[in-house]
Amino acid sequence: MTCLDFRRLLLTGEPESALMRAHRQQCPACEAHAVEHALFERELGLGLSVPVPLGFEERLLDRLTVQGAPAQALPNPGRRRMLVVAATTVVTAGLGGMMWYRRDDPLAMDCIQFVMKEEAKSIMMGAMPRAEAVKALAEVVPLQRIEQIGQILHIGPCPFNGITAYHVVMSVMQEKITLLVMPGLMVSARKRAGHDGLHARVVPLRNGSVGMVGSNAGLLDNLAGVLRSQST
Amino acid sequence: MKEVDPNFESVARAHAGDLFRFAFWLTRDRQQAEDVVQEALLRGWRSYRGLREPGAAKAWLFSIVRNEFYRTISANARHAGHVDVADLEIADERPPAFGLEIRDALKTLPQTYAEPLALQVLGGFSCAEIAEMLETTEGAVMTRLTRARQTLKRLVSAPGARWSGGGLP
Ligand SMILES: [Zn+2]
Repeated sequence: MTCLDFRRLLLTGEPESALMRAHRQQCPACEAHAVEHALFERELGLGLSVPVPLGFEERLLDRLTVQGAPAQALPNPGRRRMLVVAATTVVTAGLGGMMWYRRDDPLAMDCIQFVMKEEAKSIMMGAMPRAEAVKALAEVVPLQRIEQIGQILHIGPCPFNGITAYHVVMSVMQEKITLLVMPGLMVSARKRAGHDGLHARVVPLRNGSVGMVGSNAGLLDNLAGVLRSQST
Repeated sequence: MKEVDPNFESVARAHAGDLFRFAFWLTRDRQQAEDVVQEALLRGWRSYRGLREPGAAKAWLFSIVRNEFYRTISANARHAGHVDVADLEIADERPPAFGLEIRDALKTLPQTYAEPLALQVLGGFSCAEIAEMLETTEGAVMTRLTRARQTLKRLVSAPGARWSGGGLP
């Protein structure tokens, strides 16, 4: 196998064959190329994993249940969505999710806006070396704690809400999660917001707070619990 | 009101997220993607009883979403008279762009590339399986996947591109 064959095969995205592995092991240039390509594949997976709309599964199963009715007889999607949201709210409230009723918190909403509008730019501005990240985050949350909850894909400083925050992009159970570690930005209680399929939680921690944004609200609540229990 | 087959429900639930994502990359529109998946599963449920092999269920679900998408497109074309599947493919003569965020780059990818790529990455299907779904040859699928990745790498490449080094170990 030549270097060109190896690199062509990488681009197909098929699993590595024994021949490819053998070539990579005796060709440092292709080994380095394969490592870079693996990072690209990881980004590609995250890029394709667009957030699933809030309540999508419920609407899907709800629609299947009433399938006897022709589509035209169903309430219009807007109204239907409200009914499903209302039903979900009752269930969630019944399960103790009383926060559901509260309005979106502005800081949590800013975290979502950051992910929608600023995240790409922030990543392009560059990552910081790990040693620097350890120092920068220490007063709010040890980097090692964050590493325990998932795989870190990027950490870098970013201007946010008038302070220098630290932007962390992670993969947690195959979901993309963004953290904004905000030293000195104190909040009194956990905050939340939801918009366009994204959810945000802001967790008060020692000497600051951490904003978390992702498409899976349940996962964010779990992570919020983990970060908070570890800080106290 | 009929009961949903619990078996079908669990299969649909297990793949709902990836079916939505796949439909999104076909339609490039969140609302349309949701509608396509809903319609596909509604139709699919009616023929589900014949399908008992759990391994085949995923491929079948992706196929019915794909069929529903093309059905919708051709229905719209009949109504509008001017919409064609080919219109969804972005002409290759677009101005060169660099340094795009990968999701933005994906949005510019022609349908012929995006479709097998989504099936491979989101669905975890092999080139042979994708070839069967797209009714084409394995070689043609490999070519499309290669071009898809080449195009994306070109679109996202910029000084300091994320996978070209730097950052965390
Ligand atoms: Zn080589």
